[in-house]
Amino acid sequence: MRLKANLFFLLFLLPALGLFDTVYSQSLEAIKAAVQEFTLDNGMKFIVLERHEAPVASFHVYANVGSVNETYGITGISHLLEHMAFKGSKVVGTSNYGAEKELFPKIDDLYDKLNKEKEKVRPDTALIARYTKELEDLFAQAKKYVVNNEYIDMMMREGDTGINAYTSWDATQYINSLPSNRLEFWMSMTSDRFLNPVFREFYKEKDVVMEERRLGLETQPIGKLIEDFLAVTFKAHPYHHHVIGHMSDLEKITHQDVIEYFSRYYSPSNLTAAIVGDVKIDELRDLARLYFGRIPSNPRPEQVRTVEPEQWGERQVKVKAKSQPILVVGYHRPAAGHEDNSALEALANIIGQGRSSRLYEKLVKEKRIAIQVGTFNGFPGNKFPNLIAFLAVSSMGHTSAECLAAIDEEIAKIKEESVSAEDLQKYKRSTMKGLLDSMKANDNMAAQLTFNDVVLGDWRLLFDDIKKVEAITAEDVKRVAGKYLVADYRTIGEVVPEESTN
Amino acid sequence: MFKSRLARKSARFIPVFVFLFYASLLAQKGPKEEFQFPPLNPIQMPKIEQITLKNGLRLFLVEDHNYPTINIRARVYTGSIYEPAGKIGLASITGSVLRTGGTKNITGDQLDKELETMAASIETYIGTNSGGISVSLLKDNLDRCLSLAADILMNPVFSEDKIELAKVEMRSSISRRNDEVGGIADREFTKVIYGAAHPYARQQEYADVEAITRADIIDFYDRYFHPNNMMLAVWGDFKTKEMADKIKKVFKDWQSRPVELPPKPEVRYENRYSVYYIDKPDVNQSNILLGHLGGLMNNPDYPALTVMNFILSWDRMFKKIRTDEGLAYSVWGYYGSNYDYPGVFSVGAQTKSQSTVYAIELMVKEMKRITGEEVTDEELKKAKDQYLNSFVFKFDSQAKIINEMMTYTFFGYPVDFADRLKEKIEQVSKTDILQAAKKYLHPDQVRILVVGNQKEFDKPLSSLGEAEVIDITIPPPPGK
Repeated sequence: MRLKANLFFLLFLLPALGLFDTVYSQSLEAIKAAVQEFTLDNGMKFIVLERHEAPVASFHVYANVGSVNETYGITGISHLLEHMAFKGSKVVGTSNYGAEKELFPKIDDLYDKLNKEKEKVRPDTALIARYTKELEDLFAQAKKYVVNNEYIDMMMREGDTGINAYTSWDATQYINSLPSNRLEFWMSMTSDRFLNPVFREFYKEKDVVMEERRLGLETQPIGKLIEDFLAVTFKAHPYHHHVIGHMSDLEKITHQDVIEYFSRYYSPSNLTAAIVGDVKIDELRDLARLYFGRIPSNPRPEQVRTVEPEQWGERQVKVKAKSQPILVVGYHRPAAGHEDNSALEALANIIGQGRSSRLYEKLVKEKRIAIQVGTFNGFPGNKFPNLIAFLAVSSMGHTSAECLAAIDEEIAKIKEESVSAEDLQKYKRSTMKGLLDSMKANDNMAAQLTFNDVVLGDWRLLFDDIKKVEAITAEDVKRVAGKYLVADYRTIGEVVPEESTN
Repeated sequence: MFKSRLARKSARFIPVFVFLFYASLLAQKGPKEEFQFPPLNPIQMPKIEQITLKNGLRLFLVEDHNYPTINIRARVYTGSIYEPAGKIGLASITGSVLRTGGTKNITGDQLDKELETMAASIETYIGTNSGGISVSLLKDNLDRCLSLAADILMNPVFSEDKIELAKVEMRSSISRRNDEVGGIADREFTKVIYGAAHPYARQQEYADVEAITRADIIDFYDRYFHPNNMMLAVWGDFKTKEMADKIKKVFKDWQSRPVELPPKPEVRYENRYSVYYIDKPDVNQSNILLGHLGGLMNNPDYPALTVMNFILSWDRMFKKIRTDEGLAYSVWGYYGSNYDYPGVFSVGAQTKSQSTVYAIELMVKEMKRITGEEVTDEELKKAKDQYLNSFVFKFDSQAKIINEMMTYTFFGYPVDFADRLKEKIEQVSKTDILQAAKKYLHPDQVRILVVGNQKEFDKPLSSLGEAEVIDITIPPPPGK
């Protein structure tokens, strides 16, 4: 992007903004102008940014399904499905799909019989032993046809060493980065993955996910706190359970459950792809139509119905652990698309992000009661009403109660006195810097494009929201502080040290 | 189906050769079919300017006009390896208070405020074997940020107040160091390999925190922070000549000084099988680390070891222990090599208590397999292909290119180290890998560390050998 070519942007923006902002807004506008989109007949949307600095491209597929879509009995299924998406298809990951196909229903039936027997009031242990042995035999037979991790092998071989995926409360996202001359290969592999998936080695992969739950949650004081905290602060809305799912659900989810969940949520109309890098839009569009166009469309799945009602009073949750104290406080706030979002982001930044934020200055520098303190929005997700949350890690010899009192004091000050013009300028400028920095890497850019398009409704908001930021006033920040940071409607979570040795 | 419909039409309307051409364009390729990849567009290597100032400061500069931002990164020859025993953490506190403590011209708090107002950041640190400063800014703040960065490097005051603040954090970190099972395993394993008191492994205690004084910090800073003892990389939206002039100007009063770098600590290691246990009764999953000492990146066998690592970690450990057996989410086997001191060879996994010993047996078995027989042709080809095909990602940004160049230079490696390595990797054979595995991996002499709840293990840990119990109780503060 050259300054010369975009002079007209400069002239247009000069009267509207402060001079120092011009070159930055101009930078954003130039990137925005290069983004294109198209939607296939089956509803799958593609957002494309051509960038030819290096012969590489990043690919980001956003499936609009997360743990928020789950209910009792199948918590953890979205994340489990993400694991399954690496197991291949009718072509990839197998040496004989025909033979496998025969075994899957047998395995599923036997698994079902086994569980039904186990759940009886007086289970027949001999029968359970027999079913278990038969199941082991069937697993061994099916395993013969599996080509271990072939999907990942094939992608890595072509240079995709950053291959990954992640599941959150809101979404499941798949990431690839490849040398740009592998465009058609990505099209083939990815469309095949979503057109003809085969969820082989399902039961074994559940074991892996259970280890993941132990690793990230059950053996971590903060992990346990987050699970319990969400359960208490969301009594109705499905943000109330952790992405990883409850252990008993993980144990019982069946192969058929996942197949059904996939067909419900992975319709092309529920997928958005962003591709950023050394690609050509015309070629890409033709290939997308050719490869992804063949995936049959299903109607858009129903979105989450349940709305979290207002709290009737403050809630508290404690997790006892062999750990020093940790404090989390959450206040309910609307979804990211709400008009109060910008003011809430400003509030979080001014009160609790950075060394010159209110909380850092008071709790860390001045009172020295915390070694870490911060504020963040979008906990645990952004698509639905969520939380603005405060985290405090007390310093040695100090308590979570002291931290809470100090946080409350700072919140009260903002409600009373609002914030200064300097605070706001600082926030606005840091938002611009952060935004520019976030566009540099192809993979991060692709992620942001899909987030803005699916969660906020339009990828253009990635570039345009900064105008809302620039328009925020001290009055806005004061207003949202008063409206949302109400002690009676908050939840307090603590990790409380067990009485034991250090 | 598609063909026959079109064939009927073509018989009436469209000449056959057009139909065939059209059909071939419209055929999707299955994932396993032949793809004719067009040649990769060339990598545009940027021009990197290298300048050494009169005072010895080395500069690397590269322009990047894609974004109106500028970044600076400096590396300093220093490290915690140079701190005396009894004052562990001296390097770290010097590195952080260099920034937080303010300068002769501006207090730490004023600095925090001004930088955040500009949406700029200046951060300093001292790690194990190097120190540094990172600066990030929007381009119209260049002059002020350069001035502040230079001021921090040249005129820090290490205010007593901010030293005490850093000590609050250090003490609190010590009190929290046994709260997370992963943190316990990592640091204790490092101590098992290098030795608990060794500079590459030692941990700070409360007594160390008390013993560190402001005089110590100033002394430590004085030994290492000189222009002739560091290098600086700058990338972003500027003109090279202009930037070089600005940097010269802002550091013009910084004099070169004689710097005495102590010798790097020697690593003495003995290959011997041993088992260590740390009791953590509140977890239902064991954290397992086993291995021994690793090596250096300038080892002539480094290319073979690089290929071996990929196969060992992915094709053997991950595919077997995670995918086949479902025993762990995270599992690897990796011969670690550092630039200037031996790394660690580690095999790691976290598995439920009831599969602890079984998992360890599998981990050792895989080590024996790669030292006992050649890898397959397919494994070899795939490892090389993924390395060569992803090579382009090393050069996909100016930031990566310039920082890699500076890092190689810093540690005395040739600037084309990556290219040379690539060439050697292309030549690696199955025999090379087997020879390297046999030479550098010692499955019978691993040191095994398990952090977990032995009451729930599948087999007693003693089935692996006599286990030494490591007591991780935190020694109380002096006077308590």
